[in-house]
Amino acid sequence: MFRISNATGGYGKTIIIRDVSLYVGSGDVVALLGRNGVGKSTLMRYATGLIPAIAGTVEIDGLAAPAAPARRARHGLGYVPQGRFVFPRMTALENIAVAAESNGHNGKEAVEEALTYFPMLKPKVHDLAGGLSGGQQQVLALARALAIRPTVLLLDEPTEGVQPSIVDEIAGVLKRINIERGIAMLVAEQDLDFCLSIANRAYVMEKGAIRMETDRATLERDKALQQELLGV
Amino acid sequence: MSYSNAIHHRAGTIFPFIAAILALGLARIIDPYLAYVATSWVIFGLLGLSLDVVWGRGGFLSLAQTAFYGLGGYFGSVVAINLSAVTGHSLLWSLPAGALFGALIAGALGWIIFYARMGALQSTILSYTFTLLLWSVSQSFKLDAGSAVIGGDNGMSNIPGYIPGFGAGAEALEPAGALMFVVLVAALAYFATQRLMTGTFGKIIDSIRLDIEKTELLGYDVRRYQVLNFAWSGLLAGLAGALFGGWSNYLNPSIFSVQEALLVPIYVLVGGLGTLAGPFVGATLIGGLSFWLGGGAVGGQTTLILGVVLIGLVLFLKKGVLGGLGDLWRSRLPDPNEAARGAGAVSIDPDELADILSEAEAQAGPAKSLRAETLFKRFGGVIPVNEVSLAFIPGQPFSLIGPNGAGKSSFLKTCVGVYRPEGGRVLIGDRDVTRAPIFQRVRAGMGVKNQKPQVFGELSVRENLWVAAYSRVRHRQRANGIAARVLSMLGLEAQAEVRASVLSHGQQQWLDIGMVLCLAPRVVLLDEPAAGMTKEETRELSTLVRILARFTTVIVVEHDMEFVRTLEGQVTVLHQGRLFAQGDIDTLREDERVLDIYLGRREHV
Amino acid sequence: MDIDYLATVILSSLSSASILLIATIGLAVVFGLMGVINLAHGEFLMIGAYSALTATQMGVPFVLAIPIAVAVTMAIGALVEVLIIKRLYGRIFDTMLATWGISIVFYQLAVMIFGTVTPGIGMPQSNIQIGDYSLAGYPLLMIGVAALMGLFVYFLMTRTVYGMKARASIQQPEMAQAIGIESTRVNTLTFSIGCGLAGFAGAVLLPIVPATPSMGFSFVIKAFLTVVVAGPVTLTGSVLTAIGLGGGASITASFLTSVAGDIFFFLITAALLWLYPLGISAKWRRKL
Repeated sequence: MFRISNATGGYGKTIIIRDVSLYVGSGDVVALLGRNGVGKSTLMRYATGLIPAIAGTVEIDGLAAPAAPARRARHGLGYVPQGRFVFPRMTALENIAVAAESNGHNGKEAVEEALTYFPMLKPKVHDLAGGLSGGQQQVLALARALAIRPTVLLLDEPTEGVQPSIVDEIAGVLKRINIERGIAMLVAEQDLDFCLSIANRAYVMEKGAIRMETDRATLERDKALQQELLGV
Repeated sequence: MSYSNAIHHRAGTIFPFIAAILALGLARIIDPYLAYVATSWVIFGLLGLSLDVVWGRGGFLSLAQTAFYGLGGYFGSVVAINLSAVTGHSLLWSLPAGALFGALIAGALGWIIFYARMGALQSTILSYTFTLLLWSVSQSFKLDAGSAVIGGDNGMSNIPGYIPGFGAGAEALEPAGALMFVVLVAALAYFATQRLMTGTFGKIIDSIRLDIEKTELLGYDVRRYQVLNFAWSGLLAGLAGALFGGWSNYLNPSIFSVQEALLVPIYVLVGGLGTLAGPFVGATLIGGLSFWLGGGAVGGQTTLILGVVLIGLVLFLKKGVLGGLGDLWRSRLPDPNEAARGAGAVSIDPDELADILSEAEAQAGPAKSLRAETLFKRFGGVIPVNEVSLAFIPGQPFSLIGPNGAGKSSFLKTCVGVYRPEGGRVLIGDRDVTRAPIFQRVRAGMGVKNQKPQVFGELSVRENLWVAAYSRVRHRQRANGIAARVLSMLGLEAQAEVRASVLSHGQQQWLDIGMVLCLAPRVVLLDEPAAGMTKEETRELSTLVRILARFTTVIVVEHDMEFVRTLEGQVTVLHQGRLFAQGDIDTLREDERVLDIYLGRREHV
Repeated sequence: MDIDYLATVILSSLSSASILLIATIGLAVVFGLMGVINLAHGEFLMIGAYSALTATQMGVPFVLAIPIAVAVTMAIGALVEVLIIKRLYGRIFDTMLATWGISIVFYQLAVMIFGTVTPGIGMPQSNIQIGDYSLAGYPLLMIGVAALMGLFVYFLMTRTVYGMKARASIQQPEMAQAIGIESTRVNTLTFSIGCGLAGFAGAVLLPIVPATPSMGFSFVIKAFLTVVVAGPVTLTGSVLTAIGLGGGASITASFLTSVAGDIFFFLITAALLWLYPLGISAKWRRKL
């Protein structure tokens, strides 16, 4: 279970998100929708603790999350950032192992497990992460986040700049780990098809605040809302 | 304006003037030995000033100041030894020779550093290397230059003191006279520097420190300014070196030593970085401290204390004595940034805008086209711009759209000159600018507004616009006029004297656009101008772009399709680095393929 | 010129380059994994040398004095990191100035405690004969020591959990935290290890370079030029730069004068920075 209450935050003096509250139940997959620049990424960074809170709280499994990002990770908060940010001069294997070891898990086992979920990484495990293609890096960032054994996973634009076949594969794996391991997810995304394929519920953001909450069925029906969301 | 305010405004002139007068008066009263020692403090202050010019104002921590100082000292002294035997007057020869030599060497070193576009750390290290190289070479460098003997380790002696008179019998100044003379020279150097740094040159140097990329986008040849600034700092250091030679009558390689080099940033930090007068305060404080502790020479306990002082300054008192005092004073004055708090949303004046643009057209000529011919750019395995050919012509706004990662901003950066393409050409009008540096493209008529607002935060709103306008007209008064008109067009007159950094995000966007307009560009590139704007601001922006398109070529890179629609212009869709579709927005909205790439649907792609 | 002489020159140049590398590695670790230029690196070297010297004077065998020197410098390094460096992360020039201050303080403390002249310890007597020429054995041993040090750091940074955490922390500081790495602790340890490597260098070089308070100045200059020229792939970059610059300078010095060697060093540094403004390894794809 994961909850953000009354989050207000931004960069320096500039406030980007204002009084945002949302809730992700255990094993729930929730989409965070909205156009570019409405504050989705800022909200994600707020949730991880990478930007300091001006106001508001974050709860993981019913407990108040500690302030330091590193300690939030140990409380079970996984994060796949927009732009992936893999460790470029480390091998794919090291990227996964370091995440596991930093949280007291066995690195070798974590890598083996990751390769069963993402067989496409197998031929690449000894390559430097910086040399992988965009899609491979995205998969690696996901594998790295899973290696900390999270209970909640935050995904920021996981399909950005990723080729369609890999997008499908990512969607499949996310569904699988959600069912098999009961990991809850909050996905910020612009690709509506992708969201509809994995999420049950969605929040729509506008100008730094939550404008509405909706479910998959409504979203699928409401063409006007779709158009508006995507700015098409 | 209150007295306090008026004095604060001119503090950089008034207090140094008083200090110079005081020093001149005290020189006759104090003990000759103290006067002798204090002379060196003033010289060190001048050396500190040379660093403040390049570090505090130019933003480059140079560790080569003692190199210019030492070279100026050696060179000035060689000239003085040879010529003053004939003419008597030592200063006429040594000071200009030292100063010019320092400027020359600094200019040459600066040329290497700035034109190679070294990273900040590498620049600092290279400047340090230069000092160490001289230290190493000077140990064994032996040369008989006329009657001057440079003896490596043994140094160079018999350097004449300050001899103001002519003829063979002219005598050197006594300690009191020498102090007065040095104070006079330092004061002249200070006021000349202060004038330079508060004038046009200083404003451009400030702009470079605050945002070098933006300064170049305004059409300034930033590297030339950096080299010139560095040469000026070399001139001051060389002057200080020549004074030092005459003061000590002896020079040796220790002038290039690490310990000597360390003192310069300490003077600057103690006094206050960027204050210009600060280094004199710092040098006097530290000189005074070591005088009372150990009789003048810096060494022993003093070194220990200096080390601790440096650590303490970096950790706790980054602004130094003058910087700290200045903050204290400012906190008691009315806040000039108050006006920013009352400001509402920006609302432009369309008639004024049209006036400004038609005047710009009259001065800068008709709109120019921007053309890309089979433009190709790759980064490793990624090809963000794949043989794109596009022509943007005057008449209607052009929009460039596409999903994330389509290559829009890479295309833009290649046109602007941030990226060098591997293939193809970029033309502004008929001119091929594929290999031209950014500032030359701007001078050819290009105006660029990047996605994030780029303003010079420490300059006032008016100064921001002025710097942009001056780049085009090169005339202070005319630049004032242009800045005032753009200010009134933006409706920001009430905030004219406010620091740009306290403006809201939206206001900064408008100020940035205003700066681009000051350039009277013939082709304008706007990168996601509507990002982060409110609905009202987006509407204003749309009006602005449409008016702009009547006078110049306009290219807008945008995500917001609704905004693009309001522009009623030609739309180009990029996808995976290639041209995907072209047409007006309504046609494109009907195009299933375009919808697919936007929705992330995969059937047609 | 005969072959024996050439071999002697090459061997002694290689040993000079190795000495430079030994003195540089600690600095490379701190710069490469923390982005901090530690201008007090030379003084840690000096502290290592004095620690080893004091230990041997108290009767500890030289081989055991070396770990003592490492322990002392690691402890002081950790203290300096916690008290000063920690507050200045991300402000590279402030760190430079602060460590410059630290260097001056340590230098002056050493002058006050040990005086400016101290007795060296004798070099272990062993010579190697090449034709008519004889070379001291201990400096040649340094080629091996440098190689071992390089391998040690390489394995420490690539094969241990700490090494992975340290590299992750410098490559993507935010993401390192977001996956649970306590970067502050990792940084303290990294700085401490860097200082320990400097202490090791000071101790192991003691028979060649006698301990004086100012020994740091002469060493650190070339050491940190080496690191900056090396660029982001610090270890490999530093090894190559040290061999190229240090060896080249030494060869130049043996044919001309020692000043010519220095000039060679500085001019090549300037030329390399002109060609590679961000260091020679800026575009390499390597781990370390």
